[in-house]
Formats: sequence, C-alpha cells, structure tokens
Amino acid sequence: VSGDLDLARMRRERHRKVVDTLDAQGLAAAVLLGQPAAAYAVGARAPAADAARASHQRMVAVVAAGGDAPHLYTAFPEGVPPELPADHVHGALPVEWDEGAAALLEVLPDGPIALDEYTMPLYAPLRGREITDATALLSACKVVKTADELECIHRAQAINERAILDVERLVAPGVRGTELSGAFLRRIFELGASANTVDPIWQAMPPCIADGPSTVTGDVVFPTPTTGRPFAAGDVIWVDTGIDYEGYASDFGCTFVVGGPQRRHHDQGARWREIVDRCLEVLKPGATAGDLVRAASTNGDRPWLPHLYLAHGIGTNSAEMPLVGTDLGAEFDDALVLAPGMVLVFEPVVWDDGEAGFRAEEIVTVTDDSYEHLSARDGGPRG
Amino acid sequence: VAEGFVRTLDEMSRRDIDVLVLGREGNARFVSEATRLWLAGTRPFAPGCVVVRETGAVHLMSVTDFGVPREIPSDRLYPMSWNPANIVGAVAAIPGVSSARHVGVDGLTPLFEQLFTFVLPGAEFVDGEAVMRAARRLKSPAEVDLIRAAIVVAEDAFAAAVDALRPGVRESELKGVFEERMCQLGTTTPALEGAFCVVDGDAPIRRLTSDRQIADGDLVAMSAGVLLDGWEGSLARTWSCGAPTADHRGRRERWDAQWTSLLDGCRPGVRAGDLRATAGASVHGVGLGYEGLEDDAVLEAGMVVQLGLESGGVLGADVLLIRDEGVQPLTAFPYPAEGE
Repeated sequence: VSGDLDLARMRRERHRKVVDTLDAQGLAAAVLLGQPAAAYAVGARAPAADAARASHQRMVAVVAAGGDAPHLYTAFPEGVPPELPADHVHGALPVEWDEGAAALLEVLPDGPIALDEYTMPLYAPLRGREITDATALLSACKVVKTADELECIHRAQAINERAILDVERLVAPGVRGTELSGAFLRRIFELGASANTVDPIWQAMPPCIADGPSTVTGDVVFPTPTTGRPFAAGDVIWVDTGIDYEGYASDFGCTFVVGGPQRRHHDQGARWREIVDRCLEVLKPGATAGDLVRAASTNGDRPWLPHLYLAHGIGTNSAEMPLVGTDLGAEFDDALVLAPGMVLVFEPVVWDDGEAGFRAEEIVTVTDDSYEHLSARDGGPRG
Repeated sequence: VAEGFVRTLDEMSRRDIDVLVLGREGNARFVSEATRLWLAGTRPFAPGCVVVRETGAVHLMSVTDFGVPREIPSDRLYPMSWNPANIVGAVAAIPGVSSARHVGVDGLTPLFEQLFTFVLPGAEFVDGEAVMRAARRLKSPAEVDLIRAAIVVAEDAFAAAVDALRPGVRESELKGVFEERMCQLGTTTPALEGAFCVVDGDAPIRRLTSDRQIADGDLVAMSAGVLLDGWEGSLARTWSCGAPTADHRGRRERWDAQWTSLLDGCRPGVRAGDLRATAGASVHGVGLGYEGLEDDAVLEAGMVVQLGLESGGVLGADVLLIRDEGVQPLTAFPYPAEGE
C-alpha cells in the first residue's frame, strides 16, 4: 500500500478484468443490477439509501465482451466516471416496471449473458435465454485486488478507525448506542467517507449465552441492531461499523468495556491476538483457507461465530470472497488457495461463558511473500 | 394479528398465491414486524422471509429471536447459511411449501431460481413484489401515525442541518449534522443518505453530496429522510446560504407557482404518470420505506406519497396523505421565509 491512488486506472483495470473473464467464460455480456457490482464494473456512484429506495433508483451496467466501454443507465449523472464516453451513459432504466425491463431487453446483445439478479418484470421475458449467475464471474474478477483497490480499502478503514477514536471518548455509563452512532456518522462524513453502509453496531454482550437474546444455534448472538438502551458500568460492547470510500467498504471491529477493561478483558484480548497471530504466521501465497482454519483452531474448538466466518474478503461488498471457515465446509476451505492481492478481514471471537468475550477485526492483504496490514493492529480491549 | 399481514393474506388469496418468498427487507418487515440489521443499498435476492397462506405462518431467516415479535415462535426461524442449497432446503422444509403450486417471489437470482426449481419442481414462480405492493399501498390510520412520527424526527434533523448552513461549511458536513441529530432522536437508520447540494444555476440538481464548501450567496438543495421503526419520514427544501439574492427569490417564486399547480392536481383518481408529466415532478409511495408507484397507479384515499418538484434550481418535496376530501400534507416543515 503506497498511498498512491489513481481512480481512472482502477476503473480501467477492473473493466479489463471483467471483459477478460467474459471472454474466458464464453459470455456475451454481464448485466449487473446490484449496486456493488455496477460500481465495480463501471466505477459509477449512486447515493446510499435504504434497500427499497436503492432498488428503485438503481444503476444498471451492461458490460460487453470484446472490450468496448461499458454502458451505464443511471439517474445520477454526477456519479458517472468522467472518461466514460457520452454515448455510453444513459438515463435510468426503471427495471422495477415492465417498460424498464423491456427497454433493457432491447439493448442486450445476443448470446449467453451473466446476470446478478432479476427484478420480477425481468424474470418472465428472460425465460428461455441462456443466463448464468454473475456471482462466479464477479468473484473471479474481484477476489484479487489491484493496488488502487487496496488503497481505497486502506483509506476507508483509516477514516473508520479515526472516527472510532472520537467515539471511544464518549463511552461511559448512561450513554446510549444511538448516541455513539450519531457521533460516528457525523465524524465519518467530516473525514471524507463516501457513505455509511451498515447501521453501526454497539452491542452490549450478555455474560452468558443463556442470558439471551435466545439463539437457534446455541451460539453467541451477534450482531443485533442498535437500541436506545443506556450502557452500564462493566458492559462489554462489541463494535462493528462499516463505511464506504470510493465504492470500497471498511470493516471495523473492536471491544469496549464501559468504565475500562479489567484483567480478564485484557486476557481475552491477548487470546484473540494469539489466534490472529497464528493465522498470520501461516499466511502467504499458496496457503489455503483450510490452513488458516487449522491455525486458528485448538483442540477442535473453532473460535469464531459459526454462522459467519473466521475471515472474509472485502471490496465493493462488505463481505466477499475469499470466505474462510464458513459452513461451506472443510473441502471448500482446502480448495481455496490464497494469492497476492487477496484481502482478509480476520474476525475470530474469544468467549468465556459467564464472563462474555472479546471480538475485534483486523484486515490484511496477501503480498508476494507474506502479508501487509490494511487496518491498524488491534490493541486489545478499549474504554 | 397485524392488519398489514391480514392484507397480505387477502392479496395472496385474490391472486391464488400459496407461498410468498421474500428477499426485500421492507416486505419482510411488513409481514413479520421483525427488526433486523439495516444495511444500505441493494442486496441480491435471498429468501429471508416466507409466508404460507394455508397455515397463516410467517417464517424468518434469523439465528436469534432478537427483534422478532412473539407471534413468530423460534421454531419458525431458520438459520442463514453461506451455502444457498442449505437455505433453499430450509425453505422447502417449511410446512406448506413443498405442496405449493404458485410461489410469489419479490426478486430472484439465476442461482436461487435454479435451486428452487430443483426442490419445488411443481411450483410456478410468480410476481410476489406485485402482491406486496398491493398489500402495502393503502395505509391504516395506525400506519399513518407511524409515518407522522417518522416525519417529526426527519423535520427535527432537517432543522439541525438548516441551522448548520453557513458560509464555509461543507456539503458533506450537513449530511453528518442531519444524521447525528437523527440518532440523538433515537433512530440510526436513514431513508436515504441526504442530498445537501449547492445549486449550479439551471443545471440539474445533484443528489450526490460532495465535500464542496458552501459560500455566502449559494442556493442549497436539501433532501433527506429517516426510517423510524422502519417507517419513512422524508422531505426536501431549498435554502439560501446567507441572505437570499434577487435571483434566489425569482427562482423560488417560479417554483412556488409550479408547485401550487402540481399540488392542485394531486388528488384521488389521478394517475402517478399524470403527475410525472410535469417536468421535474416526482412521486413515490411512503410507508415502510420507499414504495414504488407505477405510472398507471391511481391515487386513492388512504395512500401516502411523497410529491416532489425540481425546477429552475429549486427542489422541494412533501409527504401527503391522500383523502377523498383532499390532500393532507403530513410534513409541516416551513419553506424559507422571504429573508431566509
């Protein structure tokens, strides 16, 4: 990570990858309705919004094999990359309605296409066409980041970390999670974030799983939405926030102890550090996700939330490939070979039932011979 | 049983739909009243909520009952999985699903379509979004009260942003001020990340807030909104930074005249498309978040809409309750006075 960022170069390199992958998979075009996917393929921006509004105001990208510039349909001309030729920029396609779907069908090239999602007006008229799910195509393009992409993730994370330093000062008995969210959101926009991507999480953890909230899997429940409940002295707060910078997500996690951490909290933080350090020791090109799972695990104990993961990738989606330690299973993990430019967000969990636990997140990228941090190293419990 | 859910079951009966598989959070929340984690932006379809008409049961993808109403017992929760086949398997195992002939979905991905076709070979997949749109369109008095409560929060936060508008402040800082106040008022979820954008003459008004510094004499278009318990409160206004210039006053007067005429035409029996025929006019449904209105949608008593107008560098929007006796504005935020 050099601090250097060239957005036009980033867009050019990403588009080239999508075109090469289309060619390699014998596809005529990628038709992208999901906003992270359209942002990746074209580099265009739309305002962040609740999911329903975002669906109705979505950008649509059509990327053709062969290398011609992508076509973008958007209601937000100010979010269009300057180098995109004017005859490739079009008004929004209202694909939530039949007329918008019909207009999209008219501009699709012949041949097999990769599509990320159907709206219902698109579903019926596309039946009979050769359609593949764009997930595989996008994963193949996105899993290895360019230097510019790494810089964007680094900057997103730096803004997020900086904002948390200001929020941390407010943590005290009687303060509410909603107040922390307010301070956080104000700060990230002052610091240059493009958007906020998830309702900031400040979850007071119960000492025991049995104290609730109840769980269908028997494991620690996390994350839950922020409420107006005031914090009490001694509360263990798991923090999880994510912002966006130029289309790239950050993912920040740490543990606050209201009133300040005690010895047992530091001990839990130290055990978390050991888990991540064991993973980092084996992390290099050629290692597999399975190697990381084995490095983190001790005596059959897998120290992470089983419905989530030991580590995940990050990019224009807040969680994307590579996924490590999911319920996709050991075979999947062993087949996933790490390569330079891949990004991993480690988020193991230390839990001592009766004394709550510790959770943080740390982001690294795989380099030619080992790894490099994109986030700060976690320094243990805060508050 | 919540009235919205009853309307959903009625719509399912009317359209002969046996099962709804919902991926859109607003739809899931409407039938379940569950609060799950809010995320910005579009998400590809995943079956997060299932409604079975025969049993009248709502099933949710969740590993916890946190935020889930008591009416949905924990045996109606199914866990998330990174393996889509597991999720589809869990949905197919829900009582009443495997025998369904007509399954309404509010979206699909090619992968989920393939998996569902495999586990439910006899089912036909039909438009479940249309079902939900119909069930959600007319608001009960209780639902209108929830929208009113959200508007109170939105207007208070909007006032904070107007207060912060002074020479030297950045557009993005106003967005931060709005969201901070929203959170202080108890809700952390915006309906949209607000537009706080300097107007550049007659050019289309930007909706992407930048880090541009606002100067004395700038006209600033502001559009923002919140979700309170999922319900939307939103509005738009255009304010001058410093004393309004003669140009600002002229623009506002022309906008006022056009707005009065647009508002006059907004009444029961009018199509959304008729309103959109006015250049710069926008209209969408307001409820549990943004609700789409097709051009052919006819306004009728009980609907709540946001009517907006962008014209000559001025943006304004209000939330309106459609009634037989005329339209009632639910937003009460003032328009800038002569000297503001």
